[in-house]
Amino acid sequence: MPTASPPERNKPWEQRNVVVAFVLAVLVPGLGHLFQGRTLKGLIYLFGILGLYLWGVKMGEGIVVYNLPEKVGAKRITLHYAAQLGAGVVSYPALWQNRRLLKGNEVVRKLEQPLSAKFSGELRRSDRDSLGGKLEGVVQFKLEKMEYGTETTGVFTGTLDGKPVKLPLAGNFALDPPVGAGFKRGLRCSVIGENDEPLPESRMIVGSIPRSLLDSYGVAPDQNQLQEVTGRLGKIHELALVFTWIAGLLNVLAIWDCVQGPAYGFGDEVATGTKPEIKPEEKLETPKPLADAPPADKILTPTSTLG
Amino acid sequence: MLFLSITLAQTANVSWYLLPLAMVVSLVYSASRFELPDRILQRAIWLFLQIIGFMAMVFAVLWFLSYKM
Repeated sequence: MPTASPPERNKPWEQRNVVVAFVLAVLVPGLGHLFQGRTLKGLIYLFGILGLYLWGVKMGEGIVVYNLPEKVGAKRITLHYAAQLGAGVVSYPALWQNRRLLKGNEVVRKLEQPLSAKFSGELRRSDRDSLGGKLEGVVQFKLEKMEYGTETTGVFTGTLDGKPVKLPLAGNFALDPPVGAGFKRGLRCSVIGENDEPLPESRMIVGSIPRSLLDSYGVAPDQNQLQEVTGRLGKIHELALVFTWIAGLLNVLAIWDCVQGPAYGFGDEVATGTKPEIKPEEKLETPKPLADAPPADKILTPTSTLG
Repeated sequence: MLFLSITLAQTANVSWYLLPLAMVVSLVYSASRFELPDRILQRAIWLFLQIIGFMAMVFAVLWFLSYKM
């Protein structure tokens, strides 16, 4: 829309170093605007774009931001990740997290040091694979010397379907690799009886403990994990992806605004090339017939006077 | 308003998530078009209503086409 600028105004996007503003805007949505002193717009971009992005990450349980090319170890950037890259520094970890996946990152069968963490999962009867109840609590594991070597043993303290319970644990211990996608790290271990007595039926705790942000954020999931999370979260996971994509693309507009200024100007300019608006009182009035004018047949014409 | 729509989104149908999404899109888009706060807000509200109106229209058409299916 062509516009006629009112008298010269200060253009805040030209007041500060434009390269610095550009770099800041690329790194963090809105930061370039805050640098330029455009506080309101900076806050709109910061909370709008970054908020949308982080909300998407939370909704997708952390399995949202990743670069997953078809070939393992390929350097190609997928379209999925390219859209997220726009959101700035929050998307960059995915560039190097995949490399950490390849370095000795395996399932832990034996702990090297004691572990204590919040646990959420279920009690399963391993022979039937059926649900024995929902577990919420804390697991504590340590290394114990046995006759044949060391073994990881521990205890679960918490609730089983809301009722307090304490379960001694040993055997079949398996903890997901330290580096992996998602904020949850899978854990399973067999339950034993008090004083290592055998139970009438074998039972396991199956669930997860929290995984640190450094070890999970930006890590590409494997196909099984992706299938599991999309199956469990369904549309929510798709929506989470859409949120991060849209946030990344919106930041392109913000970067543009930071460098070049708003696309349509300040917003109070008068549009040119349009007809000037006529005020109601200036409109031309149609002439009214005179009240005391004679009827049309009574008007004398040259021919009527002659007859 | 944003908080309300987020709360609604978390407790109800997945379609409610579109409200905060449309809100952010219209606000950020309008902010990238104009500089003056009043104009940004005015334009953002109008754009938000347009987006929601359009989606409601599409929803109504789809609902009508799939009626008793």
